[in-house]
Amino acid sequence: MATLTRQDLNFGQVVADILCEFLEVAIHMILYVREVYPSGIFQKRKKYNVPVQMSCHPDLNRYIQDTLHCIKPLIEKNEAEKVVVVIMDKEHHPVERFVFEISQPPLLSISSDTLLSHVEQLLRAVILKISVCDAVLDNNPPGCTFTVLVHTREAATRNMEKVQVIKDFPWIVADEQEVHMEEPKLIPLKTMTSDILKMQLYVEEKAKKT
Amino acid sequence: TKNQNPSSSGDQKVIMLPCKSAPSRERVQLWLQAKKQYECLLR
Repeated sequence: MATLTRQDLNFGQVVADILCEFLEVAIHMILYVREVYPSGIFQKRKKYNVPVQMSCHPDLNRYIQDTLHCIKPLIEKNEAEKVVVVIMDKEHHPVERFVFEISQPPLLSISSDTLLSHVEQLLRAVILKISVCDAVLDNNPPGCTFTVLVHTREAATRNMEKVQVIKDFPWIVADEQEVHMEEPKLIPLKTMTSDILKMQLYVEEKAKKT
Repeated sequence: TKNQNPSSSGDQKVIMLPCKSAPSRERVQLWLQAKKQYECLLR
């Protein structure tokens, strides 16, 4: 067992790669399970050794990839506190928020044998929880759309700027309407703790969706 | 370092989101219909 700092082996980058790959699958699954898009655009694939539904719509896939590409530098530097998938109604008011609360330990005690398989096992459990979350959530009103929010610090947004320009995918500070939800119900879905990453996933659901 | 108190340095918490919107359900639905028609033509 070795103790490494975040600088060793560029660990921030490894964590960001793992997490962004996971978030991509998670976002596709949320959009499928919560019926934000027609089920016909989703195809069954295998990720983390479990069946998942991934979109085959090129623009939607590009949108998700560009979003994660911009968030990645923040995760790399441990500057993304939360990544939130928000489902909004026709009036662009949030009705559900899938909150991924992320924290990375400053010191890493790892053994390379167990590291990846253990993390994969934990991420699989989170994906499985997302796949059945419709059982504990109310139906959404028709015509919903989604966005992704990232909770960070002002100084950290500079890390995003270069990527935003390259990708032609600018980010802005969220306004009250995009963030505020009346009387949200809190539904914990899964907590995972590994050597490289701690993550808590919960849903905030608007009490009255219609 | 990571342990600096961000509030003391004026580094406020912010919530960011993409300026662009995700494709609308209607647009995606139209694409799906066109895809199905194209696949029918190929058969």
